[in-house]
Amino acid sequence: MDRFTQDTAEKTVCAIVEDLVQDWGLDLAVPIGPTTLLVADLDFASVDIIQLCVALEQSYERKLGFHDLLMKDGSYVGDLSLAQVAAHVESRLQ
Amino acid sequence: MTVRTLFIGMDGATFTVLNDLTARTGEGPVMPFLAKIFEEGTRAKLRSTPNPLTPPAWVSLMTGRGPGHHGVFDFIRAEERAEDVFFTLYDSRDCRVETIWSIASRQGLKVAALNFPFTAPPPKDLNGFMVPGFIPWRHLRRNSAPHDLYDRLKAIPDFDAKELAWDFEQEKQAMEELTHEDRENWVKYHLPRERQWFRIADHLLREEAPELMAVMFDGVDKLQHQAWLYVDPKQQSGELSDYHKRMRVLCLDYFRQLDGFIEKLVTAAGPEVQVFLASDHGFTATTEVVRINAYLHEKGYLKWKEVPDTEAGRRREESMFAFLDWQNTIAYCRTPSSNGINIRVARNPGESGVPPEQYEAVRKRLIRDLEDLKDPKSGERIITEIHLREDVFPGEAMHDAPDLLLVLRDFGFVSIKNKLPVVEPRTEIAGTHHPDGVFLAYGPGISKGATIARRQITDVCATLLYSLGLPVPSDFEGKVPQAMFTAEQLERRPVVIGATTVGAAKNDEAAGMGQDEKAQIMAQLQLLGYME
Repeated sequence: MDRFTQDTAEKTVCAIVEDLVQDWGLDLAVPIGPTTLLVADLDFASVDIIQLCVALEQSYERKLGFHDLLMKDGSYVGDLSLAQVAAHVESRLQ
Repeated sequence: MTVRTLFIGMDGATFTVLNDLTARTGEGPVMPFLAKIFEEGTRAKLRSTPNPLTPPAWVSLMTGRGPGHHGVFDFIRAEERAEDVFFTLYDSRDCRVETIWSIASRQGLKVAALNFPFTAPPPKDLNGFMVPGFIPWRHLRRNSAPHDLYDRLKAIPDFDAKELAWDFEQEKQAMEELTHEDRENWVKYHLPRERQWFRIADHLLREEAPELMAVMFDGVDKLQHQAWLYVDPKQQSGELSDYHKRMRVLCLDYFRQLDGFIEKLVTAAGPEVQVFLASDHGFTATTEVVRINAYLHEKGYLKWKEVPDTEAGRRREESMFAFLDWQNTIAYCRTPSSNGINIRVARNPGESGVPPEQYEAVRKRLIRDLEDLKDPKSGERIITEIHLREDVFPGEAMHDAPDLLLVLRDFGFVSIKNKLPVVEPRTEIAGTHHPDGVFLAYGPGISKGATIARRQITDVCATLLYSLGLPVPSDFEGKVPQAMFTAEQLERRPVVIGATTVGAAKNDEAAGMGQDEKAQIMAQLQLLGYME
C-alpha cells in the first residue's frame, strides 16, 4: 500500500470524524487519531456508522464498499479504529 | 429577496379534527388563526398516495409524482436476494425524480425546506437552506445545507438540536401501547420540538426571505397516533375520566400553540405572500389488529423462522420487519407500514419462491384468500380493497412496490407478528392514517371562503410552483387546482406547463444502492436492535 495515500486517507478519515463529532460533547482523553475506536472511544451507534460511511463516500465522490469492512465471516464487527477505516478507504481507492 | 410562497406542512392533519378546533362556538376556536384561513381562504380534501404513509406521501408532495415514479414506498426498503431478504432504509438518494427544492433552485429561486422527510443528504444543487427531518441530532450539522447553516442555527436563542431532531427511541413509541404516564409525556414531548422548528423558520423568513419558505410540523401525526381518543370529536361525549379530560387539555394546548406558530409565520411572511398548508394524509380510528402474516401462515404461504430464546431473539420478534424462513415462504408482508403483500419469485433455477410462469396464478389465489378473511359475526370483509401494483403504482419504480396493496376496513396498518388470533379487537381505539388529508390556501389571489373538490397530493407541488411564478413540468402528475385562485390572478398569470423535470439531483457516489451500502445499513439496523 502506498504510504502517502494511506496517510492522506487517515487524515481525511480523522478530519471527517472530527467534523462529525464536534457537537457531541465527548470528553476525549486523547485527540482523535488513527488509533481512536469508533464505538469504544467515540460512542458511535449504528446510525453514526452509516453517516460516517455516507460522509466518506461524499468526500471521495465514489462508493467505497464498506460491506467488506463492516462484515467479517458473516458477522458484523464490534468496533473499528480510524486506521482500519482509512486502510479500507485506501484499498478501495487503488 | 422577497418571500413569494409560504408552505406549512402538518403531518397527518385532518378536517375531522381541524373543523372541530376551528369552530366558532362556546369559548371560541382552539385554533383561531386557522379558522380565519378557513373563512378567508380556500380548502380541499387532499387524497394521499395509495398507501397513505409518510414516506411515499411527502415525497409525492415534494415531487408532483406518484410512488411508482419516485420510488419511495416505505420507511424500510427490502430487496429479494436469492435465499435471503435484505432490509434497508430509504433516504433522499432513493428518490428517482426531481424535487421542488431542486426545480426551484435551478431556476434561480432561493428555497428553505425545514423538517421534510427524505431530504437527507441534501441535494448538491440546492439554492437556499435545508434542515432535514427524521434525522438524529448528531447528524443535523452534516445534513444541513449550506455548510455553515448549523452554526447559524446555534446562534438562535434557545436553539437545542436534541429537542429539535428525531429521536429514534422516542419515535418508536408512536406505534406502541403506552402507559398513561408515558402517553402524557409523549404529547408533552412534541410541544418544544415544534417550537424549535418554528424558531428556525421564523429566523430564516426574517433574515433570508427565500422565495419559497417551507416548514413541516410532524407532531400532529405523532400526537394523533397515541391520543386519537382525546382529539377525535366523536369521542368527547359521555362520561369522561379525569385522565381523559387532562389529555384533552394537553392535546388542545398543542394545537393552540401550533396555531400561534402558523399565525406568526404568516405574519412574518407579509401580506403579499400566498400561503399553503397541507398534510400528507388524514387520520381516523383503528379498532382492531389484523395479523396478516399469521393469516398467510394459516393459508400456507409463509413459514415462520424459529426465534431463539435470547434477548436478541426477543428484540427481533418485536422488530418492524418480517423474520421468516425464506426458503419456505412465497408471499408475506414485509413491514406493518407497507400494508402490502410481496410475492417471492424464483428468478434463477434452484432459488426458492414462485416460478415466474406461476406468478399470475399464485397472485389470483392469494387475492381470493385475502378476500375470504371475514368478520365471523357480520360476514364483512376485513380487507376491503386489494390493489394490484400495476394499477396503483404505475411507473419505472413499480417493481420495488408490493405486489398487492391492502386497505383494511378500519384503514389500520397490519401487524406482522407471529401471534393469534388473526383479527382481534383493540382494547382501546388508536389513531391511524386515513387517505384524506387537508389542503388550504390563503392570501392575495386566493379564492375567499371556498371549498373545492378533493385534490390529489401530487397537486401540491404543481400549485407551489405556480404560486412561485414557475411553469409546471409537463411530466408532473399533479395539476394546479385553478378553482383555488381568483379569476384575476389566473388572468394576470395563467398556469404555464413547461419543460419536463431534469431528473433527481445527482449524487454520483450514491446513485443506486449497491450490495455494500445495504450491508452498512444492515449493520445499522443490527446495532439499533432491529436485527439479531
